[in-house]
Amino acid sequence: MGEHTAAAPITLSERSSNGLALLRIFVGYLWFQQLFWKLPPTFAGLYAYVVRESQHAILPGYGTLLQHSFLAGCPSLSTPTGCTAFVPLAACVWTAELVVAISLLFGLFTRFGAMLATILSLQLYVGLAYSLGEWIWTYGMLVLLALFLVAVPAGRRLGVDYWLAPRLQEAGQHHRWARIASWFV
Amino acid sequence: MQTLRRGLLAGFLASLVLAMFDFVRDGAPGNGLPSILHWFGIALADPTLSRWAGFFLLIVLGGVFGLIFGALQRDKLITAGRALLTGLALGVLWWLIFELVLTNIMNHASSPFSLSFGRFLSSFPLDVLFGVLLGAIYVQWQERHAAEAS
Repeated sequence: MGEHTAAAPITLSERSSNGLALLRIFVGYLWFQQLFWKLPPTFAGLYAYVVRESQHAILPGYGTLLQHSFLAGCPSLSTPTGCTAFVPLAACVWTAELVVAISLLFGLFTRFGAMLATILSLQLYVGLAYSLGEWIWTYGMLVLLALFLVAVPAGRRLGVDYWLAPRLQEAGQHHRWARIASWFV
Repeated sequence: MQTLRRGLLAGFLASLVLAMFDFVRDGAPGNGLPSILHWFGIALADPTLSRWAGFFLLIVLGGVFGLIFGALQRDKLITAGRALLTGLALGVLWWLIFELVLTNIMNHASSPFSLSFGRFLSSFPLDVLFGVLLGAIYVQWQERHAAEAS
């Protein structure tokens, strides 16, 4: 008979929790900085990257998908002028990145922000990791950082989730929406 | 006195986070720090000295806002909600005074309230973050001391 020993639950100290919160803030700042080279109303900075993604995607069919959505009707590979769907779709990407930045910087529904960051980073990995001049780990690390922030409640220190989490957990005992919302803090 | 000291330290730490952001920006590290001197019309010829002076001024301003935060609490224990809201309001005040009015006055802009979308986006969220951090650090300390005391 083997002896069963249960692993002790891991409890983070205040110092570690604050360290994680600082990490979250700096990852949020990383996303925040990347808003400025593709500002509205044209989002022109994004165009060259979407073109590269359509040419170097590692997932079969992903390039075609981009060509028939973001790049539909585009007469040139160097400028988004004349594209039919580029601006509205680029606006969605830019807004999603803004949501990630605000969520991670402020620790506001941090896990939701981190999930969104994971999706956006995975998309970048699929499209750009193997394109010329890129280091594959750039996007790999971005995915891993985002996944890490999904796993730990990094917004519950130095963030709005510190206030939000106990309220949502309490309300979650009576309301389903609050229980669902509490998964994202 | 306790609330003032706690506010001062929280202000120092929150502004230190803002200052650290300047070491992960494009170009040379600390490139944005001289703009803090510019709010008060100070210009130093030596770029290194200018960055360091901007860094220290930012920390001092953070401390001043932290003292204001502490003074507003009037030696009482406060809730997390109140701390975050007060911090947020002070962050907005920081943005209004320094990033909007003083920057426009020093740049001889047509109005002290003139603002572009890019400038708003690059300054407002970070200044509000300063306020939220100030409130969060303050209330976390308060709760830790309360737990240690009981």
